[in-house]
Amino acid sequence: MTQDSSRLRLGVLGMVVLSLFCALLARLWYLQVLAAPTFKVEAQRNSVAVVYTEAPRGRILDRNGKVLADNRVVLALVAQREVVEKRPEVLDRISGLLGVPRDELDRRVADDRYSLFKPVPVAVNVPKDKLIYVREHQSDFPGIEGLQITERVYPNKTLAAHVLGTVGEINDKELGPRKAAGYKAGDTIGKSGIELTYEADLRGAPEISKLEVDSLGRVQRSLGGQPAVQGNDVRLSIDIDIQREAEESLEQGLVLARKSTDFLTGKFFLAPGGSAVVTDPRDGSVLAMASNPTFDPNDFTNGVSIRKFAELNDPAGHYPLNNRAIQGLYAPGSTFKLATSVAALKDGLIAARDTYNDQGLYTVAGQPFTNARGARNGLVNVTRALTVSSDVFYYWLGERFWDGRGRYGQAAVQDVARSLGMGELTEVDLPFESSGRIDDPAGRERLHKDNPDAFPFPDWYTGYNLNMAVGQGDTAITPLQLTNSYASFVNGGTVLAPHVGNAVLDRQGQELRKVEAKVVRRTDMPASIREPLLAGFRGVTSDPSGTGFNAFAGFPLAAFPVAGKTGTAEVTGKQDTSLFTAYAPADAPRYVISVVLEESGLGASAAAPVARRVLEAIAVKEGISTAPPAAVNRVVGTD
Amino acid sequence: MQAPRNPASPWRHVDLTLLLSTVGIALIGVVMVYSSTRQKQENAGLDPAFFLKRQAVFLLLGLVALGAISLVDYRRIRDFAPILYGGAVLALLLVVSPLGTSRRGTQAWFQLGSFQFQPSEVAKVVLILTLAAICAGARGSFDTAGVLTALGVAFVPMALILVQPDLGTSMVFIAVVIAVLLVAGAKPRHMAVLALLGISAIVMIVELGVLKDFQRDRLTAFLDPQADVQRSSYNLRQSQIAIAAGGVAGRGLFEGTQTNLAFVPEQHTDFIFTAVGEELGLVGGVSLLGLFGVMMWRIWRAAVLARDQFGRLVCVGVLAMLVFQIFENVGMTMGITPITGIPLPFMSYGGSAMIASCIGIGLVLNVHMRRFA
Repeated sequence: MTQDSSRLRLGVLGMVVLSLFCALLARLWYLQVLAAPTFKVEAQRNSVAVVYTEAPRGRILDRNGKVLADNRVVLALVAQREVVEKRPEVLDRISGLLGVPRDELDRRVADDRYSLFKPVPVAVNVPKDKLIYVREHQSDFPGIEGLQITERVYPNKTLAAHVLGTVGEINDKELGPRKAAGYKAGDTIGKSGIELTYEADLRGAPEISKLEVDSLGRVQRSLGGQPAVQGNDVRLSIDIDIQREAEESLEQGLVLARKSTDFLTGKFFLAPGGSAVVTDPRDGSVLAMASNPTFDPNDFTNGVSIRKFAELNDPAGHYPLNNRAIQGLYAPGSTFKLATSVAALKDGLIAARDTYNDQGLYTVAGQPFTNARGARNGLVNVTRALTVSSDVFYYWLGERFWDGRGRYGQAAVQDVARSLGMGELTEVDLPFESSGRIDDPAGRERLHKDNPDAFPFPDWYTGYNLNMAVGQGDTAITPLQLTNSYASFVNGGTVLAPHVGNAVLDRQGQELRKVEAKVVRRTDMPASIREPLLAGFRGVTSDPSGTGFNAFAGFPLAAFPVAGKTGTAEVTGKQDTSLFTAYAPADAPRYVISVVLEESGLGASAAAPVARRVLEAIAVKEGISTAPPAAVNRVVGTD
Repeated sequence: MQAPRNPASPWRHVDLTLLLSTVGIALIGVVMVYSSTRQKQENAGLDPAFFLKRQAVFLLLGLVALGAISLVDYRRIRDFAPILYGGAVLALLLVVSPLGTSRRGTQAWFQLGSFQFQPSEVAKVVLILTLAAICAGARGSFDTAGVLTALGVAFVPMALILVQPDLGTSMVFIAVVIAVLLVAGAKPRHMAVLALLGISAIVMIVELGVLKDFQRDRLTAFLDPQADVQRSSYNLRQSQIAIAAGGVAGRGLFEGTQTNLAFVPEQHTDFIFTAVGEELGLVGGVSLLGLFGVMMWRIWRAAVLARDQFGRLVCVGVLAMLVFQIFENVGMTMGITPITGIPLPFMSYGGSAMIASCIGIGLVLNVHMRRFA
């Protein structure tokens, strides 16, 4: 073993050591310089938790700025999960203090809607003294904190409930497509009504706080974030005063109907529900939209209780959650004669002066068709036929349309009805609208094809055309469609999409976006068609033989002229649907109103008095009349 | 004392560079141990400086041991090698007996009050002394019998440590044996066989560890026997994330989020380098490795300058022990070597390792300062 050999061997060892250190330095360079950017992202994801706290929603206001949906600050007790899990006796104390069962508190603490890094509300709407007690005895309640949270509140309770809608916790189906928009599980979202349609405006920007979190999920410190921004206000075209009158009048009419005997069945009217809609025919604004029975949207704010939900969906309660104004489908009865009349004049089937001798009965193929209540109206032209509601006149038109189908087409009347907005979506800014349908040969054929068992006869018979001409048969439309079709007629033929929203306002009340009138289509409505019909509708309320004359007895027609049309629809297996549509002032209409009362009898008896009361209230509001509207009164009528 | 006049006096030849680099690294270690434990301690409502204080005590004890070892001429220590060896083997035997304490499935400690003593750490130094003594005695005629003797001497403590089981420390033994035999003058064919055996053993471990999850799990099992596959790869991932997150300049001392937020497990012990990487960045990491480099250079230089073969082999043994540990430990945190439970010398929290490493440096200083005496 020489000195040289030993030196050489030490040299080898030195080289090995050097190369190992080089390897470490190279790797360190790689990690901290070359690969650092990719790793850095991962490091941040690991350690920063982002917690979102929802902002208060924007308010919903009526057209005059009255608050219909607001936020209320409530006192809540929140619990830090980590602490209460270690100190379960704390929850026992809360349970005793508030009288809430312990297992209920456990369920709330375990609620996975809340971020792990956020305290969970264990009690909302806590009385102030209880909250103060907790604060004064904080050492007995570790991990429990009292704070203020905001929640949706509808100060007018049931008023305009169907229009305003409800809010609730977002569900998986709603969350899926909205994740990109920043929604999180547990968020509040509009579920129906304006709350749903204008969700994007009403929802604010959540408070975002970034928290540094260790690998066990414990919050170390706050890294800042951004404060919550409350959502924008939505101003409606609804006038809450008219809305209130509409709801009250509708309710009165229904209650009255339930006390009245149906001569056809000998029983009281069932009158389970109804609707009243008021719009402005000039721009499609909805001024009132009532649906009865109704509900209180406040019941949904903190999650509707199972008992309440069952109650609201019990068939015996006649489905108060349904907005009958846009979801209820009703045979329009004689109110449909608007369409038949327009079609007959437009197609030249009749001239305004042409008359038919109404003897109360019209026979087709040996089958008798009669007027309601067996009335005989004698010689009637189209104007007179509308005023007295002669079915026979329209049976005559119905048969002639069918006989002349080679010339007018198979669905001449129906096409006019559709062009006025019946049997199609109105495009109102409310969710879950029904489209309804207009009975016609193509429809019957389609029904048969789709379901031959339920609809065994694909053919269309003359008798069908007679029924169709007076708004019977398979035609079913919503109260809003009915209102809109008359609005389209009186404004000169412009079909507008009705809108409940009026404008979106920022927090200072400045208009961010105006909801503009949307023209769906323009139809040709020359004076030669309009005038005879307007005269007929005018006669309904003002002519002593008009079907609505009794209902408007004593109404200040001179100052506030009202024109309208009654309707009584027969529904198989049910009592008659009572309908009335009117517009005012008759010479330059600013209001169109439709009232529909289910199973309440004649339109003249039940619906027209309800409409009258609403119009009376409007007259008072406009300063035209000073007499406050009297209670709804049931009147005798023929249609 | 007539020492000042004697140019060969050991005290004139103390390697201050080695001493200072050692103390420097150890002080960085104390700070990093504090940095990686204070937040967790605080969260648990405990004294944040608990580990800081204990590590400082360990360092002081280590420096005392270092000083004590350098007082006695290493050639006298050589005479005690058989006794020390016997004592170490006995301690290793006792530690796997019911007298020893088990932690995370590895039985490697004696519980002494609030402190734990790990005999395998000291056994490393004792093995270096014993091997050096045997190989230096066989000077000039280092034949097959000599190699086998050396291997046999190393095998006994190694086997006992494998029983604990502590694969990492056993691997240190292999590195020490190979380095000492290399410099001792083992014949090229012996070295070749030995290298082949050693490398294949290590490579096998490394390869199995890297390539097959279930085998790597076996490797990492003694770090944390409760760990599942995800957990052990999680460690590795988090450790690399922490180092990479430091970038060039680091997040700043006490500012490491991965470090403070307990993402890296075992950080104050085996994964202490991640705290350096994250908080002090490339600058800190290179500086630390540079200090270690200076330390290795001085030890290597001491080996070159040593006046006798025993002293040289002691230095080589200490060099091999420290280099292997540094490479394996730092490499593990950066994902280039398998995860084994080896502490980073002078940095990782732990008394036994600190004292054993200090004794190793003490021996090198001893050899170096007496190269003329």
